[in-house]
Amino acid sequence: MSDIKMKYREALSVAMSEAMEDPKTLLIGQGVTDFKGIWGTTTGLAQKYPNRVIETPLSEDGVAGICIGASLNGMYPINTHIRADFGLLIFNQLINLAAKYRYMFGGLFEVPLMFRMVIGRSWGQGAQHSQSLQSLLGHIPGLVVLMPSNPQSIVQSYRYARSHHKGPVVMFEHRLMYELEFEGKIDFESVDPLSSRIERLGTDLTIVATSVMVLEAVRASDYLNRFGIHVEIIDLHSISHPDHNLIFNSVKKTGRLLVVDTSWIPYGVAAEMSRIIAEKDPSVLKQPVRSLGMQPAPCPTAKSLEDLYYPDVSDIVGASASLVTGQHSHGIPLPVKQAMTDFYKHFKGPF
Amino acid sequence: MEFKIEYKKRFREALRIRMVEQKIIELYPLDKIQSPVHLSIGQEAVAVGLCSQMRLDDWLFINYRGHAFYLAKGGPMPELFAELYGKRTGLSKGKAGSMHLAAPNQGVMGASAVVGSTISHAVGAALASKIRGEDRVFVAVFGDGATEQGAYHEALNFASLHSLPVLFLCENNGLAVHASLLERQAFSLTRHAEAYGVEAKTLNEGFDFMRVSEICSDLLEQVRFKKRPMFLEIKTCRYMEHVGPGEDFDAGYRDIAEVRAWKDKDPLCLDDTLLSEFSLEISKEIDAAVLFAENSPYPGIEDLLTDVI
Repeated sequence: MSDIKMKYREALSVAMSEAMEDPKTLLIGQGVTDFKGIWGTTTGLAQKYPNRVIETPLSEDGVAGICIGASLNGMYPINTHIRADFGLLIFNQLINLAAKYRYMFGGLFEVPLMFRMVIGRSWGQGAQHSQSLQSLLGHIPGLVVLMPSNPQSIVQSYRYARSHHKGPVVMFEHRLMYELEFEGKIDFESVDPLSSRIERLGTDLTIVATSVMVLEAVRASDYLNRFGIHVEIIDLHSISHPDHNLIFNSVKKTGRLLVVDTSWIPYGVAAEMSRIIAEKDPSVLKQPVRSLGMQPAPCPTAKSLEDLYYPDVSDIVGASASLVTGQHSHGIPLPVKQAMTDFYKHFKGPF
Repeated sequence: MEFKIEYKKRFREALRIRMVEQKIIELYPLDKIQSPVHLSIGQEAVAVGLCSQMRLDDWLFINYRGHAFYLAKGGPMPELFAELYGKRTGLSKGKAGSMHLAAPNQGVMGASAVVGSTISHAVGAALASKIRGEDRVFVAVFGDGATEQGAYHEALNFASLHSLPVLFLCENNGLAVHASLLERQAFSLTRHAEAYGVEAKTLNEGFDFMRVSEICSDLLEQVRFKKRPMFLEIKTCRYMEHVGPGEDFDAGYRDIAEVRAWKDKDPLCLDDTLLSEFSLEISKEIDAAVLFAENSPYPGIEDLLTDVI
């Protein structure tokens, strides 16, 4: 699908339509049958497959268990959560049951299934509609946790997970990207659908980014190019199974690592990336590792605070420039601070 | 005559389960079974009666107090002891132990040690079966404590809403660990199930495997043909402590008189004739199963990281 323009949302719609063509697929969740259809990603499917597209009671834990049972009995359930925060209600089934079903019973069972969890951000989503919970789940053996950052990744990894992976997969989708249009550019034939990939080659600095922060890293990199700084960007894509060699070899080449995550920093993606380098060979680092993520507080609703809460292009440029120059006052003018929602102008509430 | 034959069959199966657990009690001090055991002694008739009426392709979702259901549904005994011993020849290669028994070929699906967490699995399996137009029944077995979990209420609602072939079977022994029903529940189990549109029955004689068989036969067929969930509460009695091989009447949370009264009605405590008829051959089967476990290898490093994802 290279050179095809496609929105993130449209890719999800393609992935869902394709999934439903398989009679094993069960699409189940709050809102999958309604007129909004998870922002258009499930629209029309309930009419076409009335027995397999199922609206649910507000019973997240129960429905997650129902998905496990259906999976044990030969179905491939896809369970949607329009906010990842609501996904917290399935953590018993997800962590105590789904993640352990194969191992705990010594390989007697497999529970192939998918949870789609949407991260909200901006336009006042507040403390309980905006959380990025990938690190919590990346910690748990037995889960595959992905954060697709573009339509190609979605089409490829949703298809692969559904048709090849025999266990539970958690897909963290980012609401901010739903309406963004992307142009295909990566040769996906050679990319592992369940692991990390190079988004852009560079020489001076490695940025490992997740989800929507890949886009921000690309914008920062475009800006830094003008000052002769060439950033290598790794789209982490897999939280649970990052490509250690890809990451290490990139940092070995550039000597510098900046991690830009959608979530909080402590015990998270930044900590894990640092562990990978520290355990393999920390002497490849010419500078200490830097990390950017949400501020260490619940997410505030007020826009003035929200804009301070999330890192933006300006922060990435600043951190990159000081890493590459080795100086805090690097002399590179920072781009004007601008909230992502203001820049992309596609995401306006309330939903 | 027919009744007599069936009675003897059920008696033998219930006795077999009790003797397996008595063997576990005997072995426990040797520390060869190094994991918690939740014994079903006193509750065997529920498992025996239910499983005698289930088809092989009817699935059973159980919990950590699962020895009786595993055996009654046909789970192999040598592999059970190997699993308890943490041996590689256990059905789950020793990774499950007593609390996570499963035997998928016999329709014993996974047992969970988180109370109430497999009830919704029965509902989901039933949904898949309904989509494919099958006539199988899915049984969720749980204790009275599990009925206090939100997940149970969610499962009842969904099963009723979608008319799914699920039998919700509550083994009511009146205790959640050491807390009595009166300390925990403000609702009636049957009226509560009925509020979700799920027809509910109670059997008080949980010691009587024939009565259990009879009511399970009736309800399983109703669930199968009406394609509606049903709820069955069976009163039963846990003779032993919540977890472990002993009794704990000295702890003061329950009255030994209640258990004595139950034992006075328990065929396994009363029918000496059948006891002596079957004991010897069952002992031989158990000894062979234990020997199989004793002689089996432990899992090792090659097993540690298999079947993770």
